[in-house]
Amino acid sequence: MFSENDVKVLKAISVGPSDPQSIAEKLELKVEAVRASADALSERGLVNVTKSVEEIFSLTEEGRKYAHEGLPERNLLQSLGSGKPMSELKAPAHKIGLGWLRRKGWATIQGGEIKPLGSAPRGLDEEILEKLLAGPKSSADLDKKGLADLKSRGLVSSSKSKEWRYEITEEGKKCVSGGMDETAAQEMPPLTSDMIKTGQWIEKDGISYLEYLGSTYRPRPYDVTLAADRIIPGKKHPYQRLIDFMREIMLEMGFVEIKGQIVQSSFWNFDALFQPQDHPAREMQDTFYLDSLADIPDYTRVKEMHECGGAVGSTGWGGCWKPEVARQEVLRTHTTGVTIKYLAEHPEPPVKAFGIDRVYRREAIDATHTPEFEQLEGIVMDRDVTFSHLLGILKEFYAKMGFEEVRFRPGYFPYTEPSVEPEVFIDGLGWVELGGAGVFRKEVTAPFGIEHPVLAWGLGVSRVAMLKLGLKDLRLLYQSDIEWLRETPVSIKL
Amino acid sequence: MPVVRLYYEDMERLIGASRDTIMGRLAMMGADIGKRAEEEHVDVEFFPDRPDLYSAEGVARAMQGFLGLKTGLVEYPIKEGPIVLQVEESVKSVRPIIGCAVVRGLSFTSEAILSLMGLQEDLHWGLGRNRRKVAIGVHDLSRVTPPFRYFGEDPARKFVPLDFAEEMSMEEMLQKHPKGKGYGHILQGCQRYPLIVDAKDQVLSFPPIINGELTSVTEETKDLFIDVTGTDGMVHKALNIVVTSLAERGGRIESVQVRRSEGDFVSPNLQPSSWTVKAAQANKLIGFDLTGEELAKCLQRMRLGAIANGSEVQVLVPAYRADIMHSWDIFEDAAKAYGFEKLDARLPRTVTVGRAHPSEVRKAEIREVMAGLGYLETMPFTLTNEKVHFQWMRRSPEGAGAVAVLHPISELHTILRTSLLSSLLEIFAMNQHHPLPQKIFAAGDVVVAKKTRMHLAAASMHSGANFSEIRSVIDAVLRELAIKAEIVPSQDGALLPGRGGDLLAKGRKIGCFGELHPLVLRSFGLEQPAVGMELEWGEL
Repeated sequence: MFSENDVKVLKAISVGPSDPQSIAEKLELKVEAVRASADALSERGLVNVTKSVEEIFSLTEEGRKYAHEGLPERNLLQSLGSGKPMSELKAPAHKIGLGWLRRKGWATIQGGEIKPLGSAPRGLDEEILEKLLAGPKSSADLDKKGLADLKSRGLVSSSKSKEWRYEITEEGKKCVSGGMDETAAQEMPPLTSDMIKTGQWIEKDGISYLEYLGSTYRPRPYDVTLAADRIIPGKKHPYQRLIDFMREIMLEMGFVEIKGQIVQSSFWNFDALFQPQDHPAREMQDTFYLDSLADIPDYTRVKEMHECGGAVGSTGWGGCWKPEVARQEVLRTHTTGVTIKYLAEHPEPPVKAFGIDRVYRREAIDATHTPEFEQLEGIVMDRDVTFSHLLGILKEFYAKMGFEEVRFRPGYFPYTEPSVEPEVFIDGLGWVELGGAGVFRKEVTAPFGIEHPVLAWGLGVSRVAMLKLGLKDLRLLYQSDIEWLRETPVSIKL
Repeated sequence: MPVVRLYYEDMERLIGASRDTIMGRLAMMGADIGKRAEEEHVDVEFFPDRPDLYSAEGVARAMQGFLGLKTGLVEYPIKEGPIVLQVEESVKSVRPIIGCAVVRGLSFTSEAILSLMGLQEDLHWGLGRNRRKVAIGVHDLSRVTPPFRYFGEDPARKFVPLDFAEEMSMEEMLQKHPKGKGYGHILQGCQRYPLIVDAKDQVLSFPPIINGELTSVTEETKDLFIDVTGTDGMVHKALNIVVTSLAERGGRIESVQVRRSEGDFVSPNLQPSSWTVKAAQANKLIGFDLTGEELAKCLQRMRLGAIANGSEVQVLVPAYRADIMHSWDIFEDAAKAYGFEKLDARLPRTVTVGRAHPSEVRKAEIREVMAGLGYLETMPFTLTNEKVHFQWMRRSPEGAGAVAVLHPISELHTILRTSLLSSLLEIFAMNQHHPLPQKIFAAGDVVVAKKTRMHLAAASMHSGANFSEIRSVIDAVLRELAIKAEIVPSQDGALLPGRGGDLLAKGRKIGCFGELHPLVLRSFGLEQPAVGMELEWGEL
């Protein structure tokens, strides 16, 4: 049994050898449909399909011009009359024409004058130009010598194309003469529920047919290699994927996730962290201040620590610590204010806590700076933990992040001692500073009754995003190009 | 951070080690070398806690110890000098603290002058809080006649300031001189301005603004008079850093007698401060296992004086160190000398169980639902402005509880968002050249009356966007998140009248949804219909 198309195509091929294009034109079918049918017929031994690579020739721009206006040598010849002095032939077209006139033997030069010779019959090259004017042609239809000349003059160009030639086999001829009309199956309409429930599927010669409501249908095979329309699934933001990746690392390592307010008092954001009240980071040009004051907790011990070092053997900063400065509200400049508040509420060991949240810096926006960005922070507080343990945690954390090579450079942060800047090795970039870490100073922990060492580290998550997502511009994270969101796969390697 | 330019040849001579040896260890002493290495020099940054490293001489002194070439405390002899500086009462309410010194026998090249000026500026920044707490003046001693007077002068007093040819009054200097314009605010509200003059009433310095032209340092200068003025003890630290740095260049330090009503003193005072620390305390903090003797060795390599007495170590901290406030600062020095890379980086034995914050668990549920509905996540800024947030959205800022920042850095970022929908419309506006439909959502923080709340917003833009589409979304979201809310017609100006609903929970509005008002779309420059929803789902 055949599909309707198979029957039409086989009949068309039985008339004489042919190709998909001409059959498609004749039958008003798509070329793909003809090829699908021919392939099916070929599988059953009814048609021979020969695939060949053909060279197709077409006119270049210059070639097209000459095809319309005539070759320069032809035009020059016509303008010669019985002869012309060479001195009159200065135009560029004349120069080209003159060369070819002599090569083709259409004219001769005698005593500074050019004279026509013989009849100058229409050349093969001129015939080809005229044929190609109608459209590109395969080399089979064109004269080889003429083509070679035109190609050398840059008047035609060629490209390779695949060609299918169809020829009917003896088996195929029998099939056509056997009256295949009766056995023709119709093209199957889209599958319906009723077809599934009541239709019968039969297999004949390795092909499936549907018998439904007294007719026989055959599903036309599609070209499954063709791309279909793009669809995009709803997705998490690639940056959120990175944040979640980092959150999972922290959760795996046994840390409790903590959160805090975006609007903080200077007390928690700075003073509780032993940042002197005249520290440059507290200045208006670096921090977003609000026009409001916060309630702050009992500050006696913090004030004492700033002014004279409290009871921990520190010198303190000296000067006079002012509660009204501590009451000024800010957009948190780091997540550490949230951390110290959490520690003050949970002073008993052990504590392992982390947070990834937005922080604010008064920075002009450009490709590598944004006024808000995410920061990761982690702390470990326990009896007998040391600076060496902090380095151990950092090594483990960065390894889980995919940064195998880590080194530790001395650093400085006002609220940690010792302080360290971890650097990771990135191919092509070398050692890249990624975050900061240290042990909270006694001056920080003592006023809140935290008696055991607090190991702390933090890093800018958007910096990691630049490395992991290959970003050149941080703004893309927050002011996203929708195509970037669409095209970044969920499987992006973090 | 201050950038210190180190010339390799100079450093090799000062330290007595090869360029490669120096560069190999510089970073581990705390320098940020970055990528600024040139053929003849390298620019490095040091942290603000180590102003004693803001000069090539200071770096060389530290590096000699770090490399083990010269260890222990450096003693700087001070010759008792005859010069007197009188501090008068009139200056004490303005700028009370002064320290000064004489350094003799220097030979200046133009490079050395630049380097000294660089150190001065870096100290102004690092210790001086831009000259407010500390300002340094350096003078050619041969041009003036001691004794000197430090007093509060009438702002109308005239003299020729540095880099100027003509006299002007101190008042004028604050208006016209570049340094006056830069630092004049420090003297705001003062009736009298600080001034240092010599026996002939010639001006050396108008701290913290500018020196007199008379005493400017040139390549002929041999002897220096240095004044440091300010508001607290950092004045003396800065002086110590300058004079010891000059001594490293071969200068001879000579003292100045400072006379004041509350008691005379001799300046500078390079007496080290004395500390007693225990090896056990250092071991407990750092996690190494050093004996008192080993700890002392480490500290000596940081140029501290250190003598072990069993497990105790007597430590002398040089007078140029500004960062030693507590024994832990000394232990950090020991850890640096020991080498961070040699510490046993191991995990602590602390056992705890990880736990995600409930709000993040909730956010993950929201993302699952929204992604399932075909929406792409966005993460817009939380900073926005009144125009976009209220005006374009046809909403009133009255009672919205928006938090405004005092000194915005751009007019685009003046307030914290109180809702998310306008941020999504901004993202649409940036993406109009991309194919439709566009469906996006955001789940994030908003701040209302200074409290952080969590919202979800979603928006869909395409030619067929309509009410029933977003109503289906809101129904799905409420169902999946098990949020009970009553739906009533909305008066929200952002929504097309009659095509929007409010979500009420216990009578309080927790969200809205509907077709966005064409005037809103036009404000954002959008040319296609869009629908949106917003829902508050939690607070901190």
